[in-house]
Amino acid sequence: MRRSGNGTGRRKRRLETTKRVRLAERLATGLITAGGFGAVIAITLICAFLLAVALPLFRRAQASEPNEAPVAERAPRRVFPDEYGVLVAVLGQDWNLRVLAVESGQVLEEIEPFAGLSRPTAFSASVDGRSLAFGFEDGSVRTARIGFESSFPIADEVPAELVDVAGGRVVEFGNAIWQRTPEGKLRREALDFELGEPLQLDSASPVQRLSHLDDDGDQTFVVWTRDAGPLFVQAESTMNLFTGESETSLEERVLPYDRESDSAPPAQVLLTGTGREVLIVHGDGRAERIDARDPANATVAEVVDLTPEEGERLTSTTFLVGRSTLITGSDRGVIRAWFDAPREDGATPDGKALVEAHTMRGPNTPVVHLAASPRSRLIVATFGDGTVQAYHVTSESRLLELDATDIGSPFGARILPKEDHVLAFGSAGLKSWEVDFRSPEASFSSFFRPVWYETYPGPQHVWQSEGASDAFETKLGFVPLVYGTIKATFYSMLFGTPLALLAALFTSEFLDRRLRAPIKSSIEMMASLPSVVLGFLAGLVIAPFAQTALPAILAAIVTVPLALLLGAHLWQFLPTERRSAWSGWQRVVAMAAALPVGVLAAAWVGPGLERLFFAGSIELWLGGKGAHSIGAWGLLLLPVSVLLVTLVGGRGYAAFLARRGESWTRGRTARVDLLKLGVGLVATLGVAFGVGGLLEVSGFDPRGSLLDTYDPHNALLVGFVMGFAIIPIIYTLAEDALSSVPEHLRLASLGAGATPWQTAVRVVLPTATSGLFSAVMIGLGRAVGETMIVLMATGNTPIMEINPFSGFRTLSANIAVELPEAVQGSTHYRALFLAALVLFAMTFVLNTCAETVRIRFRKRSSRL
Amino acid sequence: MNELPGSILEPSGLFDAIHEGRSFDAVVHEATFDERSILEIEKLRLWYGSSQALFDISMLCPEGKVTALIGPSGCGKSTLLRCVNRMNDLIDTVRIEGQIRLSGQPILDSGTDVIELRKRIGMVFQKPNPFPMSIFENVVYSLRIDGERDRGLLEEVCEESLKGAGLWEEVKDRLESSALALSGGQQQRLCIARAIAAEPEVLLLDEPCSALDPIATGRVEDLIDELKGTYSILMVTHNMQQASRASDYTAFMYLGRLVEFGPTQDLFLQPRLKETEDYVTGRFG
Repeated sequence: MRRSGNGTGRRKRRLETTKRVRLAERLATGLITAGGFGAVIAITLICAFLLAVALPLFRRAQASEPNEAPVAERAPRRVFPDEYGVLVAVLGQDWNLRVLAVESGQVLEEIEPFAGLSRPTAFSASVDGRSLAFGFEDGSVRTARIGFESSFPIADEVPAELVDVAGGRVVEFGNAIWQRTPEGKLRREALDFELGEPLQLDSASPVQRLSHLDDDGDQTFVVWTRDAGPLFVQAESTMNLFTGESETSLEERVLPYDRESDSAPPAQVLLTGTGREVLIVHGDGRAERIDARDPANATVAEVVDLTPEEGERLTSTTFLVGRSTLITGSDRGVIRAWFDAPREDGATPDGKALVEAHTMRGPNTPVVHLAASPRSRLIVATFGDGTVQAYHVTSESRLLELDATDIGSPFGARILPKEDHVLAFGSAGLKSWEVDFRSPEASFSSFFRPVWYETYPGPQHVWQSEGASDAFETKLGFVPLVYGTIKATFYSMLFGTPLALLAALFTSEFLDRRLRAPIKSSIEMMASLPSVVLGFLAGLVIAPFAQTALPAILAAIVTVPLALLLGAHLWQFLPTERRSAWSGWQRVVAMAAALPVGVLAAAWVGPGLERLFFAGSIELWLGGKGAHSIGAWGLLLLPVSVLLVTLVGGRGYAAFLARRGESWTRGRTARVDLLKLGVGLVATLGVAFGVGGLLEVSGFDPRGSLLDTYDPHNALLVGFVMGFAIIPIIYTLAEDALSSVPEHLRLASLGAGATPWQTAVRVVLPTATSGLFSAVMIGLGRAVGETMIVLMATGNTPIMEINPFSGFRTLSANIAVELPEAVQGSTHYRALFLAALVLFAMTFVLNTCAETVRIRFRKRSSRL
Repeated sequence: MNELPGSILEPSGLFDAIHEGRSFDAVVHEATFDERSILEIEKLRLWYGSSQALFDISMLCPEGKVTALIGPSGCGKSTLLRCVNRMNDLIDTVRIEGQIRLSGQPILDSGTDVIELRKRIGMVFQKPNPFPMSIFENVVYSLRIDGERDRGLLEEVCEESLKGAGLWEEVKDRLESSALALSGGQQQRLCIARAIAAEPEVLLLDEPCSALDPIATGRVEDLIDELKGTYSILMVTHNMQQASRASDYTAFMYLGRLVEFGPTQDLFLQPRLKETEDYVTGRFG
């Protein structure tokens, strides 16, 4: 009889796999594929989202088609645009104010502010154009305020004549200008001009040049009078409590100047934003910077050439908002930004120097006019050939090039307060563009290259995204944040990695098998501690404690390992039977006992060290108190010294033991070993403090470079706490890697007479390298991205210092701190997303490198 | 079941005694007493936790000879072998009574320097276990852990040991390549080379050929034959032919007890116990 298919005949063998099995197979394959692709797609989407938010930072500024209108105005002294780009007030050559409609160029209203008065001889305006000052022939000055007041009257209040005004039309009615907005509302705008009372100067000589600063009613003027030269005038208003009238008293000081060479009035006098510094600018580009911090004893701090190129002439100047940065334009089309930077060499009495920090080159025609935006560091420059260019001063980038060649000989251009319009004036008309500057302060170089910011001594990497006033210069350097991230990672890895790896090695190779599981799971429990708790502990518990116990903590770095070493050496003295009998939990207890011994020793030694080396207080010493730095050098050099002594001495000692120690008894070897420890300790300290002393004698002080002032929320603290946070993750993975080394390798090594330590170091560790490496790398990834701990434990100061006692700000903490405040869609907001992208790129590159290295290790130890 | 012709022995009832837990004396051939012994095992008892794995084992290992331990799986051959270099210490629950002497020195005392002992007793395991490093480093491992740095000496030992293990010709051109690239048989001979590089007094082989193909097995058996005389070898094997071919003395163990111990030839051809005869002829086991 022929049996079918299978051997037993008990079951009928099918010729095909069942449908169910095949369906399940297909389903599983599909599901797994979907999962895999889903993960990749999710990451790609996150990346795409970050890019989508961050990339608009690099969009170019845009301008609409211009609107052109003929104007009969000849060379206005100054134009005052409104907020909406609809109206513009013009101060004409006749000192009359005319309000023009931007669209048509039509004069809607004319004001004669000086009707019945003598005409001014000098004039000055603030950067935002709201505050004016006029100087007169009789030696008096008057301030004035100017601005458009706009309101939206409700329907009942709208005059009947205006109800039918069509959208977009501008009409004059009843001392105001009315316009129907695109939304259909009627807007009333009125030019508000208010001339102040005359302030009579003592000299009573004609005012030829004028600059003023209005700081909430306290006015400061710099006046160039024909007879008395430059005067520094402070006006102080006091209210008479009985009459309610205010009286203004003037205080005049004569500023120093060289009357011989300055017979003619200078091109300009300028008062900077502090009101304590005066620039007298001459037509040839020479400028005297006068330090008027003490107005009674003002001195010429320096003389600067604002036109450094040969034969160059100064054609135009303006202050940037905040009046700390002076923008100059020359006849070569070069635009320069100048501000006071600290100068260390003492060449100037005020320790500052006016420096050319930024240079922008336009077309090779004279800069006719410069105007700064009232709210940011944008400027528009009008050139002789009629082109108008907009620049961002900090990034030196040219944002827009506008063509105003068709409105006659150019007079100037201005950015409107909202930075949404640019208005250009020429002899034949005015032209306006609707513009969108987008993110003018963002550029690759402003993120990643050093930038020279106002008042800084030179180009630097700085992150400072928000300031109190409009005059604040946004500083978007990512480098300090990247530096902070690396610093946090470095210190936490420095602390966490050795502990985690050694703990893993100890549990997998030396610990009693029965203790292994509970210890491993309890270390893994550490990972479940929320990092916010760790951050809280670090910031509010450990930081104050560390501040008070700093010397003891520094001493503990030495005493705790020393106590353990000493314990290990003493252990050698135990008789062999004892030692093998106590190799279980008793040994763990003995090791644990070494810890408090070390800590106590540190607490005992610490204050003495502080008295001996740090002038009684490490904190004050770091702050600069106390002269000598041997102690600090000694501590800094200790790790190097330990390595050196161990390498050199250890090798020699091993050779010595091999030669002489053959016949020694255990006890004798133990005694010699202990002696070696003592000699090694002395040698280590000797080398460290000896070299430290040499460095001290040769004049090197670690303060200011390696070490600096103590901040209780510092890198060491973060290293400690974040190290604690990454220990579990590194430990678990490392322990797994070590445990998965095949047992037969361990047996082979032990069977060959190797000690457990030799087995661990020579066989287990090399075999587990790839696993250990990925454990460390995953820990590194965690440290790079960790936010809460650094947020709470550091001061979040984005500074770049090696000093382990200073704080920092990481990319992740920066995002956490600033994103809630950032206006959605703003440059700041997008910059934070770019920071996230940088963080993403950092971890991506790190992981890729790690993976490559890991695969190489793996190849080497494969085929086990 | 077919009786083999020529079997004149009656069942001794010894297995029944073992199953019932009664004590009995192992049959030890007188010829073993004539040899100079290097290992003396005295009344060895061993427990894994509460279960006893070895019962009163007493035997000698003759110097310069190959002694084979045979017996069915789980009879304690490997456990006995591991007592000799105290590898059982690595298992936490093990408890041992009795004594083993290596050249007269007791080795089961707590005062014994285990590390030193293991250097005197080389061990080769069932599965080839070369370290994931170069062939050279594998061979000189025992010298490395002793801190030997003299390159010349290391090379000399490496060559000698590889020659001793019959591997030199095959690997002399690639000493620096990974040991893991060798075939299974080569790896096992490398492990033997590694063991003899330490110049041990006794070599323990724990089923050295069980993971190898027949040709590799043959080569290792030849090697064992060459090594005897220079080294005293104690080997565990499952393979009757191997025991009969390669060893001088054979001990038959059953359920943790030594049953019969004598010169291999006698044990295989003229066993004194019916049970031994049954086992070596394959009627049982």
